[in-house]
Amino acid sequence: MSTPHDVTLLILLLIPLVGSAVVFSLGNEQGKLAKQISLVVSLIVLVYTVVVAFRFKTGFGAKRFQFDGTWTWIKSFGAHIAFGVDGIALMLVLMSVILVPAVILASWNALDSRAGAEEAVAAPTPDGHPVRRRSVKNYFGLLLLLEFFMIGVFISMDVFLFYVFFEAMLVPMYFIIGSFGGPRRQYAAMKFFLYSLVGGLLMLASVIGLYVTTGSRTFLIADLIGKVPNDATQKWLFLGFFIAFAIKAPLVPFHTWLPDAGAEAPAGGAALLVGVLDKVGTFGFLRYCIPLFPDASHYFAPTILILSVIGILYAAFLAIGQRDMKRLVAYTSVAHFGFIGLGIFAFTTQGGTGAVLYMFNHGLSTGALFIVVGLLIARGKSRNVADYGGVAKVTPLLAGLFLLTGLSALALPGMSTFVSEFLVLVGTFTRHKGLAVLGTTGIILAAIYVLYLYQRTFQGQIKDGARDRISKFRDVSPREILAVAPLLALIIFLGIYPKPVLNVIDPAVKATLHNAHVQHDPAPKLGPVAGGLK
Amino acid sequence: METTATGIQSAAWLLIAIPAISALILLTAGKYADKWGHYLGAVVPVGLFVFSLFLFFSVKGQHNRLIDDHLFTWINAGRFQVAAGLLIDPLALTFVLLITGVGGLIHIYALGYMAHDPGRRRFFGYFNLFVAAMLLLVTADGYLLMYVGWEGVGVASYLLISYYFDRNSAATAGNKAFYSNRVGDVGLSLAIMLMFCYFGSTSFGSVFSHFGAHGNATTGVAAAIGLMLVLGACGKSGQFPLQTWLPDAMEGPTPVSALIHAATMVTAGVYVIARSAPIFDASQAARTVVVIIGAVTLLYGCICAFGQDDLKKVLAYSTVSQIGYMFLAAGLGKGVYAIAIIHLLGHGFFKAALFLSAGSVMHAMNDRIDMRRFGGLGKVMPITFGVFVCGYLAIIGFPLATGFWTKDKIIESAFDKGGASGWILGLCALLGAGLTAAYMTRALVMTFLGKRRWEDDVHPHEAPSTMTIPMVILAVLALVGGFLLIVNGGVQHWLTPSVGGSIEVGTHTLNKWVLGAITLVVVALGVAGGFLAFREVPTIQPIGSPVTVAARRNLFADAFQEAVLMKPGQWLSRALVYFDSRGVDGVVNGAAAGFGGSSSRLRRIQNGFVRSYALSMLGGAIAVAAVLLAVRFQ
Amino acid sequence: MSALAVASITTPSVAYGALSPIFIVLGAALVGVLVEAVVPRNERYPVQVFVTLAGLVGSLVAVGLIHGDRLTTPSPLGNDSPFAGSLAIDGVGLFLQGTILVLAVLATLLVAERTVDVGSSIVASAAVVVGSPADRALSRTNRMQTEVFPLLLFAVTGMLIFPISNNLILMFVALEVLSLPLYLMAGLSRRRRLLSQEASMKYFLLGAFASAFFLYGLALLYGYANTVDLPGILAAQRSGTHSDVLLYLGLGLLLVGLLFKASVAPFHSWTPDVYSGAATPVTAFMASCTKVAAFGALLRVLYIGFSGSAWDWRPIIWGVAIASMVVGAVLGLTQTDIKRILAYSSIAHAGFILVGLVALTKQSAASVMFYVLSYGFTTLAAFGLLMLVRDADGEATRLSQWSGLAKKSPVVAGVMTVLLMSMAGIPLTAGFTGKFYVFRAAWHTAGPLVVIALLSSAVAAFFYLRIIVMMFFADPPENAPTVAIPGWAASVALTAGLVVTVVLGVFPQPIIDLATKAAHLVG
Repeated sequence: MSTPHDVTLLILLLIPLVGSAVVFSLGNEQGKLAKQISLVVSLIVLVYTVVVAFRFKTGFGAKRFQFDGTWTWIKSFGAHIAFGVDGIALMLVLMSVILVPAVILASWNALDSRAGAEEAVAAPTPDGHPVRRRSVKNYFGLLLLLEFFMIGVFISMDVFLFYVFFEAMLVPMYFIIGSFGGPRRQYAAMKFFLYSLVGGLLMLASVIGLYVTTGSRTFLIADLIGKVPNDATQKWLFLGFFIAFAIKAPLVPFHTWLPDAGAEAPAGGAALLVGVLDKVGTFGFLRYCIPLFPDASHYFAPTILILSVIGILYAAFLAIGQRDMKRLVAYTSVAHFGFIGLGIFAFTTQGGTGAVLYMFNHGLSTGALFIVVGLLIARGKSRNVADYGGVAKVTPLLAGLFLLTGLSALALPGMSTFVSEFLVLVGTFTRHKGLAVLGTTGIILAAIYVLYLYQRTFQGQIKDGARDRISKFRDVSPREILAVAPLLALIIFLGIYPKPVLNVIDPAVKATLHNAHVQHDPAPKLGPVAGGLK
Repeated sequence: METTATGIQSAAWLLIAIPAISALILLTAGKYADKWGHYLGAVVPVGLFVFSLFLFFSVKGQHNRLIDDHLFTWINAGRFQVAAGLLIDPLALTFVLLITGVGGLIHIYALGYMAHDPGRRRFFGYFNLFVAAMLLLVTADGYLLMYVGWEGVGVASYLLISYYFDRNSAATAGNKAFYSNRVGDVGLSLAIMLMFCYFGSTSFGSVFSHFGAHGNATTGVAAAIGLMLVLGACGKSGQFPLQTWLPDAMEGPTPVSALIHAATMVTAGVYVIARSAPIFDASQAARTVVVIIGAVTLLYGCICAFGQDDLKKVLAYSTVSQIGYMFLAAGLGKGVYAIAIIHLLGHGFFKAALFLSAGSVMHAMNDRIDMRRFGGLGKVMPITFGVFVCGYLAIIGFPLATGFWTKDKIIESAFDKGGASGWILGLCALLGAGLTAAYMTRALVMTFLGKRRWEDDVHPHEAPSTMTIPMVILAVLALVGGFLLIVNGGVQHWLTPSVGGSIEVGTHTLNKWVLGAITLVVVALGVAGGFLAFREVPTIQPIGSPVTVAARRNLFADAFQEAVLMKPGQWLSRALVYFDSRGVDGVVNGAAAGFGGSSSRLRRIQNGFVRSYALSMLGGAIAVAAVLLAVRFQ
Repeated sequence: MSALAVASITTPSVAYGALSPIFIVLGAALVGVLVEAVVPRNERYPVQVFVTLAGLVGSLVAVGLIHGDRLTTPSPLGNDSPFAGSLAIDGVGLFLQGTILVLAVLATLLVAERTVDVGSSIVASAAVVVGSPADRALSRTNRMQTEVFPLLLFAVTGMLIFPISNNLILMFVALEVLSLPLYLMAGLSRRRRLLSQEASMKYFLLGAFASAFFLYGLALLYGYANTVDLPGILAAQRSGTHSDVLLYLGLGLLLVGLLFKASVAPFHSWTPDVYSGAATPVTAFMASCTKVAAFGALLRVLYIGFSGSAWDWRPIIWGVAIASMVVGAVLGLTQTDIKRILAYSSIAHAGFILVGLVALTKQSAASVMFYVLSYGFTTLAAFGLLMLVRDADGEATRLSQWSGLAKKSPVVAGVMTVLLMSMAGIPLTAGFTGKFYVFRAAWHTAGPLVVIALLSSAVAAFFYLRIIVMMFFADPPENAPTVAIPGWAASVALTAGLVVTVVLGVFPQPIIDLATKAAHLVG
């Protein structure tokens, strides 16, 4: 067969790489220029991706993987530079490239010791000294580098290439947390890196095993699907991948790195960490675990489903109990992951489609939530919920943004997060009633952790101790609104009219389930009735 | 089967779009809209009312009155296909008229009431948001889309309850309301999932097609779905056991209490049950639960109402109990749904009137609401007094006033249920009527009659016309509305296509007139009792008997929730936080520490002495040789 | 009778072409000795550097030529001589010789570096008593003990013979030829001379001890097979008529000698002390070249001499591999001196390489060859960088001193980060490619071993990260060390190391091809 050589995605991948190279090459004093360049680059990437998305064909006869290009990379390893997107990958790439400009805008002044001292203090030093000056261009360079890896990890069509991106992605995030993070950034960065590395190395073992056991001298996913014999080995290989992804995602009980990393990372970094990097885990389930190891997936599915439900409730309770806002948000997304896991391993079209849409929404929603929380922290110079209260009086717009984002996080009907969450639940319900019921109770807890946080921070009286401090807060600037508003607008639009997105996702999910030997969703228990409402 | 929308009907989506857009404008336009924002907000529902009148006649004009207005495919995932469409049928239109009509009046009232409030624009934004959501709720043609409106009104209610967000009590009340609704939502969600799981669809038409004569749904399925719907209804309508949020919701501005927490939103539960008539018809169990909830709640509301000194709280509990009546009626099933709806409409009129006059009192008394500080206001505020009296007569079921037609019909139907249960329910309803009369009399006396008990710094005065005019209109409706609704069974027939015809019960348990007479006697006793008991009003709340205390503390429902749900929940949350940091994360850090420790222990071997290095090498060598030989000669 | 004797002596035919790389280096070494004798002190440095580089490069060219005309003979000394088949100029041999020579060139450049420290990091005069006035006076001059260059060449000579000898006697000779100069070189540090001399002493004593094991093993094997040729020993096992005890004891003791040179646990204990004591360029030389040579020898011994009894000795390799990986990773955690950390890292890496050895396939041979090459470059560059960060008394290798280095010199910190990432096995670096290659080769025969290896590399990652954390995320201390600008010599060496590390991470295919093509041994 002739290998395709479509360079569309290759170009998409290179734009941010070149951009970051340019930004890094700037001088430390050219911070402003660095910001402008990286904003422009990220916008170019966004536009380019949107164009690609519109050229993505759906409907009958449409290829599953489009814009695919394959080039040999390391012959002896059977590794290829192979790119291609199906509906799932496309959505996640879109989500990433939408989030990056937002993050860049939101952290515009994050590192200026002067004006944005506010945002800068998103990472206050323990003794409250103003943060030491940090290289602006490095921060934005790292963001673009991260974007490069994020895109790469989603569009890879070769297991080896995917692994390379998967691991290499840690490095820029490690530096973002480590050099721009909060007081305990060293601990957090180290924990994040090692935790992921352990997972990654287990996965490496499986990657090698995959190569050896299938005997097919290539790492192209297409050539590996259906090749793994159904035996104990498949289970082991599955576990290797699964644990790596479960740590990334993160699935309880592999989650404890996230609260630390999420809390210590600068708001922008946290948004990308939780918004995008975590999705790599759930994406991995769909792209690698299930198609490559279908039997093992079915074998382990019950366990995973139960862990997911535990995650939904457990993390929700933890979120309610948090004092640190960013930790709180981090825990909420652990709970959200529970829903995604539920949807993926329910093996129904609704569950799968819901899960993918959930990843997309959650990226935007939690990303926005981290940004907004960051804005508040930047003003209050503290992550501690107890240091706030009654802020809405001073900054009504910020309060509005915060509440709206919060509502999207609790999956309010009318927002896209609801569509995805309900699809997940209904998809689960058709197979596992009990689990779905438990999962559904999670929506109560979601309401509590969001609104309780909002009440403690924005509503009520301004505490006497904090009055002079809080009354000095300035409301959100147009730039800051510009960072968050589009995300929310998109969430609401897709809540009302998700069809275009679902049309993209649905076929990919069906194909994935097909790889997992799931041919049909459970049929309605009661057939249709002739006549109708009389 | 539904027919497709034609002409003006196909523009029905404007009902939702217009208020939604206006809300969007009001909330995003910022201070630029402060000048004119509230007018826009008030004009919208009035305009919609006119529009819905046209709709009404266009529907009335045609034979098939179930019009389905398909808009677009909303969600499509495999077999899960959900269309966004509107069902314009008599039931929906009835609610649309109620919402836009009463809503319009209350919007106008709010112009006056909120005139001096800095956040007026925000208020009207929320208010329009509510109207949009409520209209979506009642016009949606499927359960999932209805859920959107359902949650939308929840949010609007949350926003408006905690409108004075700098009052902790208001913020808390808002959250409480939302949480309780969420509990109900779980029920609604599960109901919808069950529908998809069993019928493969969630639109009214195809779901109902599985019930009734040709249906294939088992009673089990019907019961399951029905009960889940009831859970949702209880959450939204403040019915037992999810009733405690509704009285707290009075933290919101009075127009909110009138529109959302009396006239419209809280009746959504009744709407759902009536809408799901085919399902409830199919399940005796579900219906029984509904009537029990109704009966319990209506008495609960009455009792608690006695304990309140806050006028709005009194009205809130009376709302709780009146909705109890509606549940009771709805639960009686075939033929009685219509009566529930009729009482719902009547209640919409008179409860709105009562709340608005209460609001006007607050307005006059510098937002004081403690009835012990009122008294003798009748002379000072004649119009308000008049309006209140009309509402009062209507709610207690004074002959020819609204309640007399609507509530008595419910009592009657309760008795007509027949059997022991019929008697029990009937007596509950009857007792409720008496109690209602009593506590309303108490409120009336304490507020408007007797001698003045307010301090000198307040100077009561009549409200501006923007407030009084809507009040008067509602007062009139409260008086004559009921008759208009039932005159030669108008509404009942009108609703037939939606909720099924009313079967005229052949044998009444009690003769109509006898029962009517008994009811009147009971009411009269209640009124008399109220007058006698509450002539003298101490300005400081007396200790009161255990019963009174219980009533004041809403029969310990809050205490119960706090003890059983809140405290354990907080405790669990704290426990888990500890467990997560010490337990789960402890393992991780423990592992790290383990490596570190073993490392520093092993370091001691590396002591720098050649002799010990050599020794270790020797040991190694011996080990190597030993292993080799062992492997060889095993 | 003398005539008779003369007549009976037949001059052995020697394939000089095949041995030219060895001869060239040896020749250069001898020239170097002469230079010391005749050239006045002040001119010695440039001359020696020239001679050394010339010798190494020349030898490298020779290797290239030999490889070019595919000359691989089982017996460069002709089949009629008593040492028939004792040297094998085969693919593996040439590949490793090439690697050793390139690394040696870079090491030489590091040794020759004299801009960072007055007169290079080699002592002015090793014989002067430490701390004596003379010593203090000399340490300020730019004199250096230029004998280090011939010593280095002699060591390289040994290293070139070590991996190609099919004959244990020759292998032993090579071992000593490469070891003795190293013992000396270890003692030639300009700073902290006492430490350096102690290191030298330790290395010598333990090295001698190890050699004794090797020799004893050799003797036992001779007793077993009546030959010291690896093919002969293999044949003896095939015939299987002799007592196994001798065989296994012999093999065991032989291995001890080899594993010692490869600094594999539990024969590693010298490594940290010697690496940290010796002058850094010397350490770099030992850590890269010696490892290549040692593993070359191991490869040959196991593949040629004992492939038959693989099932019997494999447990040993498993054991020592696990031991080294664990010891290296765990002990590295609590080190506070970067030089020592790198030492432990090299112990851990020795373990990883052994993982590749167990498979005994062409693939695994190739993977081991690739690994030693890539690791050689990386570690050499890493040690080279240590030379640049200095304070009053020489190199500042305490971890705490490196905190905040990134602010002072982003370049040095950046390069170090890349090298450390490579050692940690992060993708897009040579280290990852090597690990992947080795583990893939080992998977079939040693799956669990691979998993252990991966986990221990996760543990090891911690101390690499600790250095990065220090450099980037911590604030510089008071009296932070200065970062010297390297001269041309060190710059070339460091750049080479860095470039190779990155290139082998991104486009390793050519080298992999080379290794795969070369991966066959002749007995």
